[in-house]
Amino acid sequence: MTEMVTSLLRRAYSSFASHIFDVPARLLAFLLFLLFLVMPLTNPGYFIYTGEGYYILGILVVANIYAIYAASWDILAGRTGQLSLGHALFYGIGAYTVAILYKFYALPLWVTIPIGILVSVSVALLVGFPCLRVKGPYLSLVTLAFPLILTGIFFMFKDVTGGELGISSLPAIIPVPPYTINQQRLAAFYFSSLLLAVSSVILYKIANSKIGIIFVSMLDDEVASKASGINTTKYKLLAFAISALFASLAGAFAASYESSVGISMLALTMSFYPVIMTILGGIGTIYGPIIGAFILTILDRYVLKVVVSDALAHTHIIERAEDLAPWHMIIYTSVVIIFVLAWPRGVTRFVVDKLEDLEEARELEEIKKKKK
Amino acid sequence: MHLLEVENLTKRFGGLTAVNNVSFNVDEGEITGLIGPNGAGKTTLFNLISGILKPDSGTVKFKGENVTGLESHKIVNKGISRTFQVIRPFRHLPAIANVMVSCLCPRMKKKLTWLKSPERKALDMLEDVGLTEMALEPASNLSHGDLKRLEIARALALEPDLLLLDEPFSGMNPIETDYLTKSIRRMHLDGHTMVIVEHKLHALMKLVKRVIVLHYGEKIAEGSPKEVAKNKKVLEVYMGRVI
Amino acid sequence: MIEDLLIYGAISGAVYALLALGFTLVYGVAEILNMAHGALYMLGVYAFVILFSFFHLDLLSSIILATIFVGFVGIAVYGLIRSVVDEVLPVLVVTLGATLVIQQLSIIQFGARDIRVPPMISGIVTLLGVKILQDRLLALALSLCLIFVLWIFISRSKIGLAMRAVAQDREVAMLMGINTERVYMLTILISGSLAAVAGMLITRPVVNPNIWQTPLYMSFAIVVLGGLGSIKGSLVGAFIIGYAENAVLYLVPEGQYLKGAVALAVMVIVLVLRPAGIFGKRMEIER
Repeated sequence: MTEMVTSLLRRAYSSFASHIFDVPARLLAFLLFLLFLVMPLTNPGYFIYTGEGYYILGILVVANIYAIYAASWDILAGRTGQLSLGHALFYGIGAYTVAILYKFYALPLWVTIPIGILVSVSVALLVGFPCLRVKGPYLSLVTLAFPLILTGIFFMFKDVTGGELGISSLPAIIPVPPYTINQQRLAAFYFSSLLLAVSSVILYKIANSKIGIIFVSMLDDEVASKASGINTTKYKLLAFAISALFASLAGAFAASYESSVGISMLALTMSFYPVIMTILGGIGTIYGPIIGAFILTILDRYVLKVVVSDALAHTHIIERAEDLAPWHMIIYTSVVIIFVLAWPRGVTRFVVDKLEDLEEARELEEIKKKKK
Repeated sequence: MHLLEVENLTKRFGGLTAVNNVSFNVDEGEITGLIGPNGAGKTTLFNLISGILKPDSGTVKFKGENVTGLESHKIVNKGISRTFQVIRPFRHLPAIANVMVSCLCPRMKKKLTWLKSPERKALDMLEDVGLTEMALEPASNLSHGDLKRLEIARALALEPDLLLLDEPFSGMNPIETDYLTKSIRRMHLDGHTMVIVEHKLHALMKLVKRVIVLHYGEKIAEGSPKEVAKNKKVLEVYMGRVI
Repeated sequence: MIEDLLIYGAISGAVYALLALGFTLVYGVAEILNMAHGALYMLGVYAFVILFSFFHLDLLSSIILATIFVGFVGIAVYGLIRSVVDEVLPVLVVTLGATLVIQQLSIIQFGARDIRVPPMISGIVTLLGVKILQDRLLALALSLCLIFVLWIFISRSKIGLAMRAVAQDREVAMLMGINTERVYMLTILISGSLAAVAGMLITRPVVNPNIWQTPLYMSFAIVVLGGLGSIKGSLVGAFIIGYAENAVLYLVPEGQYLKGAVALAVMVIVLVLRPAGIFGKRMEIER
């Protein structure tokens, strides 16, 4: 028995090692991830209970959630070319399922989150069917309609969904008595980081699998893909379902973390966030949306709210830090616009291209040296 | 029983009848040419047979089965594959992945099982068309000639019972044309049944045993290359009035 | 009852047509999905309210000046997307960004509260036995006039011809000597102006910084239903949705809650039946 377990562990380790340690980029990513996990423990004062009304770890949790959400959009839009502008539908369904099941049946998270995902995937298959016949900009505009229609339905059933007020007092990952608030915050951080790690690995594996090849073939030329015998309808639905799965995971966790759900989770702006984050980061990669989510969340909740406000207040350009608040959104959006105009294919593409250019330049130098 | 039976196939686009009551048969092992001036309806005919378009009337029977109007991927899985007049590569994928897509369809999943992986099959096909070196290059980096060979590799990877080639020689220089002629002869010897649409008649007539001529969507002649070359109507259509 | 529906449906249809035409023009000519369309609509209302209510300018001047102002904002938006105009996603993100900036600036300038939009003229008229506000009748008349003028402009004038040429095939139009950049700018100018006027005619009784959302997805619904890039389609679509909305309002109890969803529902239904809209071109399969 122990022999079986050790051999299994050894195989798992060698597969893990060959996947990560042999590829320098992945090794780097893995080390950064370990650093990321260990970080809060190095200076708990700074990360866990800093400042008034915010704490660094909280910002990172939100970034994790948005990263999963954005990555879910990327596998659909970046890999199959279906640009959904209504992704909040799946995010909201994940969140509201958790909330409604808790409100009426007091079901725990480990039951409601999977159910939320199940509901979301079912809706994706349902909604996917009419969306399949529709292409290009028509698809984008149709998908935009769905969360808005759901919003209307939610308003019709106010007693179930809470209408504008939403549902609150949802359970957290670990409850505060008997644990402390700081332990709860740590738990939220580690749990969301774990979710992000697992989600990104799964999405990455899918994107680079045979299914991923079929997805890209549909993106490049659907007619040619069909002419190669591929049932594009089936794979489009599959992409929709996978995308919905991860989007609803993000939404369900968000419901628990924010301990409430509101109708804003289905708003147009919520549908736009993964789009903006993915484009900024680099569409069609899995790390692009993750990086985009982190950049924008940290920009929004830390850089602008804290650093810039304090700096401006310090130098008396504004009276108090809070006075920056109305301009906050404008600065944030302007930064997004500047980023997208400067690097239309995404920040990560730009960095990768530059690295490749450096690599080429170095190789040319070496060739020149050899010739001498 | 003929491998392919096309009966009274008709397709209209608004006021234009692109294919008008066309009928012909193809038997196993034949190479048949399909020629006609531009706009004669040759590509439309291919689109109708391969399921990209649905006919307004008429039937297409393949191996005795009525496949008229089926969706293109279903027809592919029954054994008909084609290349496109204007090449349609998957630009974001490397050459080997382009061919692998064909190896991942239900037909090939059944045929390959554990004897050969899709990757192995794809590499073999690339070898057959002489593209092994470019296997990992993104399709967007390949030259036009390479891409035409890639198209054929993708179509052959489906191990079709009937192969439709749409202007395979277009855009090729004499060396490439020579190479392709040899490849097609080899495919024929391997037992592939083919129908080839082509404008470069000198290349085509050397390869095919039988020619069908279309003009304004109608079949105006059918026969051996020699017979068709002497046919008055065909000459009129291609060169104006015969003196 | 029917007369009510007939008249109010016509009014809704006409003003929605103004709104949708702007959006479809920009898409047809420049292939841009302008997410800032709703924001321009909203700016039109704010500008009108300031000129008419606060500065007490006369009606005509208010409308014209407000429209010119929004037209220029539209050109500013075009200036932003110029460098990426061919890429769908950056255009989407930048026009979205512009919308959010406009919304936020409106909050800073006017506050988040509701501001009353006065009717253009006061008084009530009876038509076919139905009592209508003169303001609504004026809206109908103005919309129909503008639609007519636009139709003549696009189908008869040289510039209209240039626009149609660019819409059909941009490269060929360039080869024929048409300055596509100028055509794009003009198109957005017209589109923004139409959105602004639509705003002034539709938005009652109040305006607040959130009202850009509804006209945005209304434009989507109408244009998608009629066929992206098709002027005929937008006209027909606008009237279909105008009448459908009013029908729901009158015939369904508690219909006002469903009003917003009607446009979206109609759009989804039509797309299922005709994936490119009523007059839309089906995407080319093979040349």
